[in-house]
Amino acid sequence: MSTATTSSRARWWHLPAFSLFLGAVMFAAAWIGDDLRAAIFSFLVMAAVAALFALGGRFETIRLMRQPDERWSAIDLRATAISGMSVVTVVIGAFVVELARGQDGQPWSLIGAVGGVSYIVAIAFLRWRS
Amino acid sequence: MENEVRALRAERGLSQQQLGEALSVSRQTINSIETERYTPSLPLAIALARFFGSTVEEVFHVNSNDQ
Repeated sequence: MSTATTSSRARWWHLPAFSLFLGAVMFAAAWIGDDLRAAIFSFLVMAAVAALFALGGRFETIRLMRQPDERWSAIDLRATAISGMSVVTVVIGAFVVELARGQDGQPWSLIGAVGGVSYIVAIAFLRWRS
Repeated sequence: MENEVRALRAERGLSQQQLGEALSVSRQTINSIETERYTPSLPLAIALARFFGSTVEEVFHVNSNDQ
């Protein structure tokens, strides 16, 4: 029995490393798109975020983001659900507006379909697991 | 859910930080449990009870609002 739901798996460097990885991906994408200025800016922003996560261990909130305990995991789950609902609302709204403008609703219909299918698959999987 | 965590912790002269470290949770989590803003998971409730040499029923009380 463990009370540390994720802290044993999460390592302090995961979040900074992921931020740097995202920065590198954004850099590459903007560079391929021939916008070196945006590439450098994106990477610097994500590098600053990575530095904040890496060096901000003195702050309890950043420590919890790096190594969440069960309460933080519950907060994170609920925040993710709220954020997901916001995205779904925007996608549906944009899809309806596109239809009203005589368009086929792309790419919003595709994004909505991915969200709907992944939700159904997740429900089925989690029901099977529990 | 009402609980005796603050009283039990104070009896032992522990800070929220020390109790949190003993149970691998944050000081904020201990504070939220004590102020009844967060109901811990069953594993954490059992760990808290064991830490205080008590039972879950003695540490946590279900009141009418929880049912």
